[in-house]
Amino acid sequence: MKHKLKKRGIGFYASIYFKIIAQDFKSKMSYRADFIISTLGMIMTNISGFIGFYIMFQKFETINGWNYYEMLFLYGFSLIALTPMQCLFDNNWNLRFVVEDGSFIKYCFRPINIFFYYISEVFDVKGLGQLLMGGITLTYAWNKLSLPFSFKTGALLLLALFTGSLFMIAIMNMAAATCFWIIHSGYVMVTMFKFTEYAKYPVTIYQGFFRVLFTFIIPIAFVAYYPSYIFLRPEVPLLTCIAPLFGIFFFWLSYRFWMLGAMRYSGTGN
Amino acid sequence: MTEPIITLKNVSKEFKVLNRHEGVKGGFKDLFSRDYKIIKAVNDISMEIMPGEICGYLGPNGAGKSTTIKMMTGVLEPTAGEIYVNGKIPYKNRTENAQNIGVVFGQRSQLWWSLPLIESFKLLRDIYQIEEKQYKDMMELYESLVDIKSLYSKPVRQMSLGQRTLSDILAAFLHNPGVVFLDEPTIGLDVSMKSKIRDLIKALNHEKNTTVILTTHDMGDVDALCKRIVIIDKGVMLYDNSIENLKHFFGAYRTMRLRFTKNAAELTEEALQKQAEELTVDLKQKYPQASSISVTVDDDWIDVLLNEEEIPLMKVMNHIQETKRIYDVQLQEISTESVIKKIYDKEIV
Amino acid sequence: MRMKLRKYTALLRVGILEEMQYRLGAAVKLFGNIIYLIIIYFLWKAIFDSSPTDVVNNMTFTDTMIYLVLASTLFSTMEMFVTWWIGRSVQTGDIILELLLPIGYSSLNLLQSSGNTIVAVVVNLIPTMAIVYLITGGGFALSVNLIFFAMAVVLGIVLNYYINFFVGTICFYTESIWGINIMKEVIVLLLSGASIPIAFFPETLQRVVHYLPFQAIYNTPIMLLIDNSLSIQERFSMLGIQVFWLIVVGSISHVFFRISIRRVTVNGG
Repeated sequence: MKHKLKKRGIGFYASIYFKIIAQDFKSKMSYRADFIISTLGMIMTNISGFIGFYIMFQKFETINGWNYYEMLFLYGFSLIALTPMQCLFDNNWNLRFVVEDGSFIKYCFRPINIFFYYISEVFDVKGLGQLLMGGITLTYAWNKLSLPFSFKTGALLLLALFTGSLFMIAIMNMAAATCFWIIHSGYVMVTMFKFTEYAKYPVTIYQGFFRVLFTFIIPIAFVAYYPSYIFLRPEVPLLTCIAPLFGIFFFWLSYRFWMLGAMRYSGTGN
Repeated sequence: MTEPIITLKNVSKEFKVLNRHEGVKGGFKDLFSRDYKIIKAVNDISMEIMPGEICGYLGPNGAGKSTTIKMMTGVLEPTAGEIYVNGKIPYKNRTENAQNIGVVFGQRSQLWWSLPLIESFKLLRDIYQIEEKQYKDMMELYESLVDIKSLYSKPVRQMSLGQRTLSDILAAFLHNPGVVFLDEPTIGLDVSMKSKIRDLIKALNHEKNTTVILTTHDMGDVDALCKRIVIIDKGVMLYDNSIENLKHFFGAYRTMRLRFTKNAAELTEEALQKQAEELTVDLKQKYPQASSISVTVDDDWIDVLLNEEEIPLMKVMNHIQETKRIYDVQLQEISTESVIKKIYDKEIV
Repeated sequence: MRMKLRKYTALLRVGILEEMQYRLGAAVKLFGNIIYLIIIYFLWKAIFDSSPTDVVNNMTFTDTMIYLVLASTLFSTMEMFVTWWIGRSVQTGDIILELLLPIGYSSLNLLQSSGNTIVAVVVNLIPTMAIVYLITGGGFALSVNLIFFAMAVVLGIVLNYYINFFVGTICFYTESIWGINIMKEVIVLLLSGASIPIAFFPETLQRVVHYLPFQAIYNTPIMLLIDNSLSIQERFSMLGIQVFWLIVVGSISHVFFRISIRRVTVNGG
């Protein structure tokens, strides 16, 4: 190389990422029918989720001391927290096919981070419908609970949502990366995804071992419950305070696990 | 005296493989088992490759070719030995090494599947931080070599295999790397596309003095592109020299191509095989001491390969004529394919 | 005749063997199912604990749990990928080859997916039922109910298959297999009562659901198993409704497929 290369930092990755997303978005739009049907499917999924939620709650005033609107708050919160995983990390769903048919190796030959290169390839637009539904629900619940809105609560909400989505992403990263070790790991992802759908319920409904399981091992409690706590109750538990740091740590852990798998794959996969 | 661009010194790569057990019980055993066996995928290989060379890297399936390539590209770390590519150790810094190499690996495209080709090129320009002028020059060169402009707006997923291979090769050369690794670049392509791809590789190697490491099973690729070949099998290097030298080694070998029927093209593969088998038996009986004789079927010809130092060709031909009518005959030097096959079969070295 | 039968059993065998291959997958599936059931248990326990009465919509907590466990097990037992198969083979063009086989396309898919389902019945449904029976100390009666249940499950499997086949045929018209499939899943999951017992639905929705085929997949077999108050006439009429839906959905699927396949055979794919 004749000229000096710039160091590939966050700015470099961000600029590459937005270019890929912009192009991908353009090409997605050329398959309009597919886009409309997928979005419709996504919206129907959410509507049916609401119907189920409504049916369950019309007969019960509270669950474990959480009233209907508080539950709705958790619901909307979890939908929004789910969106970044859905939109930005959707390629994880294809990982096992790419690994099984051997084409994963191609991601190892570029002078950029393998995880980034792989994940950046797909941006899933239909997840945005979910963001909209979650936003509406959260706003509605926020109003009904007459929660205050200020710069401080707004900033806190963003931090809380960011934390929740970190956990969601981390869980699915780990689930996807199992395909580097086990064949037909599709069920792992499907099962984990099913669990994350239950992130909208307070973790206090579980007892003993399962409370620990869903708090620290498959941490769905951190997707909505702990980050939301600060808005719904006056006291703030320790786990809520450390949630953002724990989220970053957990995401890092999932990233290392993913990369470990990728390295292992390129070592033996053939 | 120029420095080699790639140096391998006594490189070995071992894999630990679990001894698997049968059944459900065995499956559980495997979860905790420490019962490994060691497989030497690459065993003590040394070579030096000079800038601008096109080197054919050959060997049967599972010979250790792709393991070697993975080590040279920095994806794998060797168990023993040293590798330098562009003066650096590839696996120590994968991304830095990736900046200076280009790879076309397997038949799957490395371009963005749903994006128009030109957008893929632009993304690569950004990822490899190619200067604008260099990028423009490269694109001009490409347009002068192949009709690529018509493909710019086409998404890769809509391309034919040939168009995709072409695009992938261009993408691999785009950042003007010192070395380009090409794995089976012409597999599955028709004859005219094959020669187009070969011409392109030759032209790019010539224009940019890029070193090319080519793995292939297609001897047409080797004949058209490589002056030098390296052959490995079961992880061990069998040969490293020019093709000329290799053919010289087999200088006394001749191929006699025969047809025993008028319309040989109408014969089935089985019928030809049967003819070849009969001939093999016959020649074995007649010349038991001539171990070099081998009979194969190639298209609608029966090929008899032999070493004239062992047995004169005319003698064999006369013998065949006594029992069979020969409708057509051609004489050739030994083909690269047969040479390689002989090396695989360990008939020399 | 015997040759013909052998052709069908061979296909069924392939489906069974294929499913057996994925042992680890099956283990993960079973494990995931157990944790999923535990989540459901805690969730509904919390719901019932928060309720002032022990009986909600004529169902106790135990009734609800038995219903939900059976429903989710039936759901995972009957899970099939026919929509994906058809969608993929339309997109790749393999459908042409499959149409050349000396067996109807619908039967081909039905037999292969039934093979998978039979394995699931053995490794998933039957053990789960045994566990439910042991834990609840006879939560359902070991009586004629079981026979009705078995018949209704078989009808439910075939009905479910034809719904999937119908949805799969839609893939002749669009590339969006994912979108089509997710819509089907959502509708079936909610309206069949697989995720929430139909007894909990509001009046109007219950009435709507009764005029749709989906409740005949999971709800009918489960009701036949656990509801001891049903008379013999009611039981047979429930099976009759299943058969009715099977005929309706089956015929519509066949006609729809016949029309759609012309797109491939006339236009050449």
